Amino acid sequence: MDELEILKKEWQSREQEFPKLTSKEIYPMLLKKSSSMVKWIFYISIAEMILWTTLYFLVPESSKKFQEGMGLNAIFMWINIFNYGVVFVFVYLFYKNHQKIQVTNTVKELMANILRTRKTVHYFVYYNIGMAAILMFSVNLYYYFNKDKLYHILKSDEFYSAVPPETFITLNAIGGLIIIGFLILFYWVIYGLLLRRLKKNYKELKKIEV
Amino acid sequence: MAQLEEHQNIVHKICRLYTNDSDAHNDLFQEITIQLWKAYPKFRGDAKFSTWMYRVALNTAITLYRKSKRTVQTQDYESVSFKVSSEAYDPTVEDQLKLMYNAVKTLSDVDKALVFLYLENKNYREIADTLGITEVNARVKMNRIKEKLRTILNP
Repeated sequence: MDELEILKKEWQSREQEFPKLTSKEIYPMLLKKSSSMVKWIFYISIAEMILWTTLYFLVPESSKKFQEGMGLNAIFMWINIFNYGVVFVFVYLFYKNHQKIQVTNTVKELMANILRTRKTVHYFVYYNIGMAAILMFSVNLYYYFNKDKLYHILKSDEFYSAVPPETFITLNAIGGLIIIGFLILFYWVIYGLLLRRLKKNYKELKKIEV
Repeated sequence: MAQLEEHQNIVHKICRLYTNDSDAHNDLFQEITIQLWKAYPKFRGDAKFSTWMYRVALNTAITLYRKSKRTVQTQDYESVSFKVSSEAYDPTVEDQLKLMYNAVKTLSDVDKALVFLYLENKNYREIADTLGITEVNARVKMNRIKEKLRTILNP
């Protein structure tokens, strides 16, 4: 390739055209904040884990009363214990994978490590959304088969007394579906934007090896 | 810091390849400098400083750097970098170079990295080591890129 050879020759000889910065000029740059993607991914991942973990604490009082009335307290306690175990495993995996991200990796390794770390968080989110969906479905099913009990509780509650049990179950299910749909859309948009370029480059590097 | 100062041209060259204006160039230059500074304690001295620098700088340009959202086009970098300084000015070579350079700029991030290392006179072993691919594949890929560039230049 003649042109590329010419460019190669010129490439070496034109170095003096670049501004020559002195240490004094470079030093202030080091004090500025890095805008590295890894840093952003780290913060977002931590925020997600905190958000999903704290969501368990944010169950409204009325809902707790419901669970108690419906005899679901014990099972919810076990589910919570199981959840904390899962959260712990995910946090550990995230930490381990994040440690592996080094700017001194080869280009391909670095990309793979970032994608692996992100995958850990993605699985964590999938787990949460899946768990929320299963719980929502099972609870509503349980309510449906225990309509009498539900009716009784609804009647005794000031706020819910006007709502017929069937409508309550339907509203509950629709509300749940909307929330889950919104979450999926949110993740799709956020990570699509953040990782699109990285994924494209990684795919290209992998293709070279095929 | 002295080594960084000495080898800053490597960073400038990567910035020129991966950005289109001087603002973005400075932005990326700064990010690469930060990454090099942060990674330096891990530099073991078993490789050449410049080789190590290629890896960190390319990693930053391709993977870590988030393109600045600023859309304000400032000075066109090309016009500065291809300013003719030589007395032996040959308009044909100059035009050819500019076309070639523009063609390289249309390549993907990964292809650009290969071309960059090639222009830096790195052998295929070093190119493969920096990118994390095999030497044979680096060679095959480079030939394909040359082919691609030829098609762009002679449609």
